[in-house]
Formats: sequence, structure tokens, C-alpha cells
Amino acid sequence: MQPIEGAVIAAAGLGSRLGLGLPKCLLEIEGRTLLSRLIDLLEPHVQRIHVVVGYREELVIEHCSRHHREVVLVRNADFRTTNTARSMAMGARGFSGKIVFLDGDLLIARPSIESFIARAATTELLVGLTKQKSEDGVCVRVASDAVDESPTILGFARDPAYSLEWANVFSGPAGILDAAQGFVFEELGRRLPLPGQVLDLSEVDTPADLDHARQFGRHLFL
Amino acid sequence: MRTAYCFDLDGTVTTREILPCIASELDIAEEVSTLTQLTMQGLISFEHSLRLRALILGHVPVGRVHEIIDEIGLDPQIVEFVHERSEVCFLITGNLDLWIGPLASRLGCRCISSKANLVNGRIRIDHVLDKGEAVHELRRSGRFERIIAIGDGANDVPMLKVADVSVAFGGIHSPTPPAVLAADYVVHSGGSLCSLLKAL
Repeated sequence: MQPIEGAVIAAAGLGSRLGLGLPKCLLEIEGRTLLSRLIDLLEPHVQRIHVVVGYREELVIEHCSRHHREVVLVRNADFRTTNTARSMAMGARGFSGKIVFLDGDLLIARPSIESFIARAATTELLVGLTKQKSEDGVCVRVASDAVDESPTILGFARDPAYSLEWANVFSGPAGILDAAQGFVFEELGRRLPLPGQVLDLSEVDTPADLDHARQFGRHLFL
Repeated sequence: MRTAYCFDLDGTVTTREILPCIASELDIAEEVSTLTQLTMQGLISFEHSLRLRALILGHVPVGRVHEIIDEIGLDPQIVEFVHERSEVCFLITGNLDLWIGPLASRLGCRCISSKANLVNGRIRIDHVLDKGEAVHELRRSGRFERIIAIGDGANDVPMLKVADVSVAFGGIHSPTPPAVLAADYVVHSGGSLCSLLKAL
């Protein structure tokens, strides 16, 4: 049993499909940014949070200097030519134990991330899944299609026939992405089968996702 | 891996900028503070600004300067970090040895600074420190396999650039944009800075 040591939030990306000219983690849902909501969720469970910044980093740095002075900001100056796996690997430097890795554009229900973190302590590698269907999400093939909150993952595929998607959240050893060349799910795919855990969350990639996240937020924070 | 930790002094280890504090003795804290900010942002050359500020602040007796500096708060976590590993910590400061000598002694680590002497009651600056050169020198000593630098202003940029790992620190005010652009990490509290330094 090894509890989660730290969290890495990848917030360096352009968010070009949304086209707001703003890092997606700074989108506000019910009056609070996605980033602030993620930090609130994670802070009680980890020793340190690393937020990887790139696109319009000055805005994220300013936000953290005002509201989250304890987080460590990690600069990915090559954010335009590198992907999330690279950002997450950079963000994990300085950790030696088990880390939870997350995309910065997620709105997650507190009970579901807390169950995830609790189970992660007893699992070498744990992969977050979601029932939300996005336009070009990465789907997962699981051992049984029965309704199950913790299925075993057999494969990743861009095939909308499957009912669960990769949630861009996972926990594992700090160095796991150091040699990653492709996407995060591809690196995870080399280690199949893997335990999965369904999360109650909303991811913001497109304007339609943002509408969905706002509805989800109203439901969560009523 | 043997790592050297190079700390900027003003506004990084100290919780206030030192020169504006000295200037309050002459009732020109605001003016010197403005000059200090412009210098930190890189709008004025550090050397010119230091020479100008030293000329003005030279009106305050050195003994009084030591008393003023003695009252300036220090970041408690950084002080603890330095005390625990004073052999591998360095203060790298453009400030004058004449002024900050006693503070550096209290911190207990080696201090690499600009150098000045009193000549006929006036401050004569003999050497203005290039922080990048200071890091190069540490590297040439062969004692360290890795150098980590921590700073917040434009004159820290050469040091942040040549270090193996660099941290822009905003303990009392945000690190200046040039320092951020030269850094690998940005942190805003002494606690998270020291937590990161211990982990790297």
C-alpha cells in the first residue's frame, strides 16, 4: 500500500478546439475556475501539487499567485510542439512515489475522485474512465460490459462502439511517462490489462463540452 | 548527486527588498523602491542602478545599515533549509559585501556578492557581481554535479539560465517576467520552494 504522494495537473495546452484564447483550466464553472476546483479536490490528499503551464502561462501563474500559493508551477516552454504526456512527465520531476496525473480541463465530482485516490493507494496503476461521450474521445474496451464502476481495461481504441472513455486521469509511479513518445493512453496501453475506475466528471474540449460542463457544474454545486 | 543551491538574497531570502529599507533612513524609500523595481524588471542595467543607489545610500553610516538589515524579516523555511545544508548553499547577490556581510554570517553559508570598500567615508564599488559568472565559477570548482538557482529579478536571469535547474520565486511579490521566462519552475511560498528543492 503506497498512498498518493503528489498530483500533476497538465494545463499547458492550447485548447484550440474551444478557441477561447484562454487556458482551459481558467474557465469558470459556477464562479470558480476548473483549476481552482481541481486544486481544492486534491490538496487534502497530496503533499504537493505541480501545475504544468505553457500556453498563456502568465495567466495561470497570476491565478495561482493569487489563489494557490502553495502549488508548484512547472514551465513547459515547448508546449506548442509537445503533447500532454510530455507535460505530465515534466510535471512529475521532483516526485519519487505514486502520483495522480490529470488534465487541467476536467470538472470532477468530489466523491468520485476521493474513491479513486483511495483505491489508487492499493493499486500500482489505476486508470480513470468516464461515461461521458465526446466527439473524438478515446474509448476503452473492458472485460465485461456489465455496469461496473471498476472494470478491467483490455484496450484503448477510437471506436465509439464502446461505452466508456479514457478520462485523462490516472495514477502511477512518478517516472512512468519519462520515455513516452506518443499519447498518454498509448503509454498506458503497453501495460494492459489495467484496472480502471469510472469517474463522475466532465471534460471541456469543445463548445458543446463546455455547455455540458456548465450543466454538470450546476448539478454538482447546487 | 552533489547539488549546490544558489539563492538570490533580496526579496528571496529576505521578506523585503533591502535597499528601499536602507533608503527609508533618508526618507526616500519610495524613490529607491521605484528604482529597485525598474531594475528588477530589467528596464535599467543592474550595474548602473547599483552604482546610483550605492551613491545615494552611502549617506547612511554602514553601522546603521547593518542595524536596518538586521531588522528585515527572513523567510523562515528558506533559513531552515540553508541552516540544514550550509555547505552546499550559496547566497548569490548583487548587493554589497560591506552592507550584507553580517546577515550572510548569520545565515551561515557562503556569500558571493558585489564588492565595495569605504574610502574616505565614501563607498567605492570595486566589483559588481555577474550572477551567471558566479554560477560558472561554482561549476568550475568541480565540487558539484548539479546547480539549482533561485531568484526573482532581471539580474538573476544569467544565473537562472546557466543553472541546471532554475526556480523563479515570488515569496513577497511575483517574480519578474524575465525571471519567469528563464526558469523551469515558479513558486510563491517558502514552504513549497523548500519542499520542491528537497525533492528535486
